[in-house]
Amino acid sequence: MTHPAGGPVVHDAATLPSNDNVNPYAFSVDLEGQWFLQKGKMIAYYGQIDFHAIGHGPLDHLIAANFHSPLHASAWVVAQGRGKMLLADRAYDINSYDLDEGNLTIRSGNLLAFQPGLTLKQSIIPGFLTLLGTGKFVAASNGAVHFVEPPIRVDPQALVGWADCPSPCHHYDHAYMRGVLGGIRALTGLGGASGEEHQFEFSGAGQVLLQSTEQLMPEADTGGVPASAGPGVPGAQRPGSRS
Amino acid sequence: MPFTRVNSKLVEATVVPGQRMFSQRGAMLAYRGAVTFTPSIVGGQGGVMSMIGRRVAGEATPLMTVEGSGTVLFGHGGHHIHTVDLSGETLYVEADRLLAFDGSLAQGTMFMGSQGGVMGVIRGQVTGQGLFTTTLQGKGSVAFMAHGGVFELPIAPGRPVHVDPQAYVAHRGDVRNKLATAIGWREMVGRGSGEAFQLELSGQGTVYVQASEEKL
Repeated sequence: MTHPAGGPVVHDAATLPSNDNVNPYAFSVDLEGQWFLQKGKMIAYYGQIDFHAIGHGPLDHLIAANFHSPLHASAWVVAQGRGKMLLADRAYDINSYDLDEGNLTIRSGNLLAFQPGLTLKQSIIPGFLTLLGTGKFVAASNGAVHFVEPPIRVDPQALVGWADCPSPCHHYDHAYMRGVLGGIRALTGLGGASGEEHQFEFSGAGQVLLQSTEQLMPEADTGGVPASAGPGVPGAQRPGSRS
Repeated sequence: MPFTRVNSKLVEATVVPGQRMFSQRGAMLAYRGAVTFTPSIVGGQGGVMSMIGRRVAGEATPLMTVEGSGTVLFGHGGHHIHTVDLSGETLYVEADRLLAFDGSLAQGTMFMGSQGGVMGVIRGQVTGQGLFTTTLQGKGSVAFMAHGGVFELPIAPGRPVHVDPQAYVAHRGDVRNKLATAIGWREMVGRGSGEAFQLELSGQGTVYVQASEEKL
């Protein structure tokens, strides 16, 4: 690695970090086998790497074992081979996380890539994905990620994900609508809502991941639930209903 | 209550009973404990007359009152956050840059023309501050936002500081500011350096400058 005075750091295949951040906005994967990644998040690679679309081809076995979200298979690819692969996403902060026989639920747009030791499933909460198992995954956030422990109430837009704790519930703050002035606010919109009357409430033991701003990253499509899933499945449409 | 910086874009504040805080609406990211957020219809301190004053001055950023006991995490728009502890001085900052501040601080508005008359008004236009700016005075803490990181430049008597109006964020202390122009024939024929206007700050205090020329 050379350090020209004040200039950018020059990397090559040998000096790129192994499964670590190159800088806050780029992550280097030491590929030896396979990784799942979202389409379009690879910015450069060294070595022999093939990118296979999910849904057909020689990787059916791997996909059957690790990828249980067929409805957004189109947004994912499998990188196979040996080499160093750089991941980045629109200059958002990138971090890697290790799961050890754990579970973590994350907003679909924030997840960039994961190791096949993990299994990807669609959360029953729309817009979120759950990772189960052991391995490393890479996620992006708008501003650095901050870990907090429940009990805590979180702005819905600031939530990146949560690990090991029960799924959140909605918390609605009625105090802002109280009294005469509150009534006027509710009726006329004069004075406005505080914008903080609605939060996600977490309880139990675990970790909640927050990003440093309430500006959301653009959503990635998680796919819906098949209409044939039947009654009792959140998000599934009843046959004959229109929306 | 001083703010604790969690990272460059996130601050944590402790709320104790009996001490109010004001924050920009929508800037709360998470909280613990029994904390209530009430939209402040008058948009800050003082009564209805203060509200009208702020509305007229265009310094009425939607604020909410934060009360109760617990800790609150604030962040907004992915902007960098800077915190300042005031001990009696006055901080001059644009209302829309304010993220949160202690209720113990007295909030006011200042007419730009009160410093330098017509040139003050022109200065307000150039810096995007408009005709008025917000002042906070007293003992307490302020968290404000900037695009890119913020750095502080000390101003000492006889050593004025020149700042690009677009990079100016806030200043505190006993500071006179005036608009320095460097308009020559190049600007007239459209071949200017793009740095025709600078803010010249002199006196005793500190100016906060952001590492970007982008407004919020």
